[in-house]
Amino acid sequence: MADRSLSFVDDRPLQEAVAAYLIAAGYQRCEPSILQPASIFFDSGEDIRSQLYLTSDVSGAEYCLRPEYTIPVCRHYLASPEAGVSAGFSYCGPVFRYRSGRPSEFVQAGIESFGRTDREAADAEILTLALEAVAQAGQAHNLAVRIADAGLFTRLLEALDLTPQWRRRILRGHGQGKPLEAILGASLKGTGADHSGVLAVLEGADKQGARALVEDLLSIAGIAAVGGRTPAEIADRFLEQAAFKTGAGFPKEKQAIIEKFLAIEGDPDRASAQLRKLAAEARLDLSATLDSFDARLGFMAARGHDVASLSFATRFTRNLDYYTGFVFEAHDRQRPDEKPIVGGGRYDRLLRSLGAGEDIPAVGAAIWVETLHEWRTGDRA
Amino acid sequence: MNSASFVLAVPSKGRLQENAAAFFARAGLDIVQGRGSRDYRGTLKGLDGVEIAFLSASDIVAQLAAGSVHMGVTGEDLIRETIGDADSKVALLTPLGFGFANVIVAVPRAWIDVRTMADLEDVAAAFRAKRGERMRVATKYVNLTRRFFAERHVTDYRIVESLGATEGAPAAGQAELIVDITTTGATLLANALKILDDGTILSSQANLVASLNADWSAAAREQARVILSRIAAEEEARTTREVSSVLTKFGGELLGAAKTLFAARLRWHGADGRLTLNCPNDKVAPLADWLIAQGAEYVTVAAQDYVFSAANPLYEKLAARLP
Repeated sequence: MADRSLSFVDDRPLQEAVAAYLIAAGYQRCEPSILQPASIFFDSGEDIRSQLYLTSDVSGAEYCLRPEYTIPVCRHYLASPEAGVSAGFSYCGPVFRYRSGRPSEFVQAGIESFGRTDREAADAEILTLALEAVAQAGQAHNLAVRIADAGLFTRLLEALDLTPQWRRRILRGHGQGKPLEAILGASLKGTGADHSGVLAVLEGADKQGARALVEDLLSIAGIAAVGGRTPAEIADRFLEQAAFKTGAGFPKEKQAIIEKFLAIEGDPDRASAQLRKLAAEARLDLSATLDSFDARLGFMAARGHDVASLSFATRFTRNLDYYTGFVFEAHDRQRPDEKPIVGGGRYDRLLRSLGAGEDIPAVGAAIWVETLHEWRTGDRA
Repeated sequence: MNSASFVLAVPSKGRLQENAAAFFARAGLDIVQGRGSRDYRGTLKGLDGVEIAFLSASDIVAQLAAGSVHMGVTGEDLIRETIGDADSKVALLTPLGFGFANVIVAVPRAWIDVRTMADLEDVAAAFRAKRGERMRVATKYVNLTRRFFAERHVTDYRIVESLGATEGAPAAGQAELIVDITTTGATLLANALKILDDGTILSSQANLVASLNADWSAAAREQARVILSRIAAEEEARTTREVSSVLTKFGGELLGAAKTLFAARLRWHGADGRLTLNCPNDKVAPLADWLIAQGAEYVTVAAQDYVFSAANPLYEKLAARLP
């Protein structure tokens, strides 16, 4: 690959076309400044943080070049008079992230919809708009669209009546691409043989008493809450390991249900029917989430999508930490393993974490104009 | 900079400096400090055209990466932490046998439920779910930490940069856990911290490191060849012994056995039966026993100061990496 910082790729007409399309669809243009306070991105994790281009001014305040649009656009919305009510924004401009082997400055376009309580209709609208904005750039028939619903998996784990720890472990492990078997086996095994005697003794004891004993032992050792965890938290997890080691592991029948669930994929309507069947057999109440899933498919059909052409998989996830419901990705049909051209989904919890005071419905999509341009021109890195 | 065509960077203070000086002296390369101990430039006695730059450990790494020095002595930990894609910018020629230190992940001893990185991943996620904040990791090894944690799927944490007394950060309430360097583990113990079973990020020691970006003129390459051949000769002498005996019959079969059993190499076998072999230190006694069993009357063993050879493995390693 040639040094891209030297070659000028003029994709401005494409950028302008995409931006104009999104504005015409009723999403007001929002262009937050390129220089952003760095701290607002720190809570996105060390992964993003390691990609930031940081700088500071004479007062010592830390800034970065915006690595993405969603957080700045959310902050703009929360600071605006429209905060809390329904509003839609669009953007198109450069973002800056360190990417090994690729240019660190690249163009991102996108839309964010806040505050709409008709979630399924909003989901369908965002998907449609993002795909249409790309389609008017040509070759839409070559896009392979994958959809999923993070809410389905979350709801299944709730309905299975698992402890919050197990729900989180399974969701996290799944997001990391680990098979269920590995997730259920690895988390608590540890390697320590040194406490196993104590653990075996405690296993017979009643839960309250065992917990009190471990807490006492920690306080006798004069170690109070060192490192920000409380003795109670440490004792609870220690005893959880005890239960796991002595064989009271994860219930087999629940594991089987999760495995069946994760195997469902294909035509969305048929998948929905399979999910209802699985829920009925396992006597789990997934009806509200599945109703919402079906309603969303209905809105998509009403907007002219051939729903059967969308490929659905319960397995498919995008950043489970962030997305709370509908998620989607569109790839070049010829290169399904490459980075997506369009990606997005519902993230109902983010605005609260940015200071909204309550969850506000939010759904959005990003369009990678750089990838789109390469795709159109057949220029490959 | 003066007319020197080759610049060698060595640590300017502390135990690392003493060890580095001793290392070069053993190889017959005496570092001469110019005009008193505060001068930061020196020479190698008897080798013209070589300049010694006395620098801080972090400056050595930076100048190796930039190519403003040809070779330097520094810890692998700093190389891996400071230089992105280190293997494309520097070549680690040989570990030097001093400056040992491990970069490790340590958590409070009170966390009796946490022994592995998998435990840490689980606990970090629970911590964030309960408090809405990420666990804090105090460290100066920001990049090593990010890489290691990402490989092990630990994402619910936040780095707090710490440039000194990192091991005190958990007790001071500035962090939940640390990534730090340790030699004996005593400081960790004193601060009620323990190393995770699979929490060793890097086992580091001082290395002789070559910059791939430096100006490798013909003269610079020749200086490197001379220096590395002396280092290799000293290393060969230090790690092997010369074993002599008399055996009239020492043909292909016996020599083959000596090679496979004792990693011995033939130096000389005269018509009169005089035999000289070379073998690793720890194989000396078994080799002597074996030679006697083959009919030798006596076996003498000698240590050597230097073993120069036509082959120069250290230089070849460098030459293979230079453009």
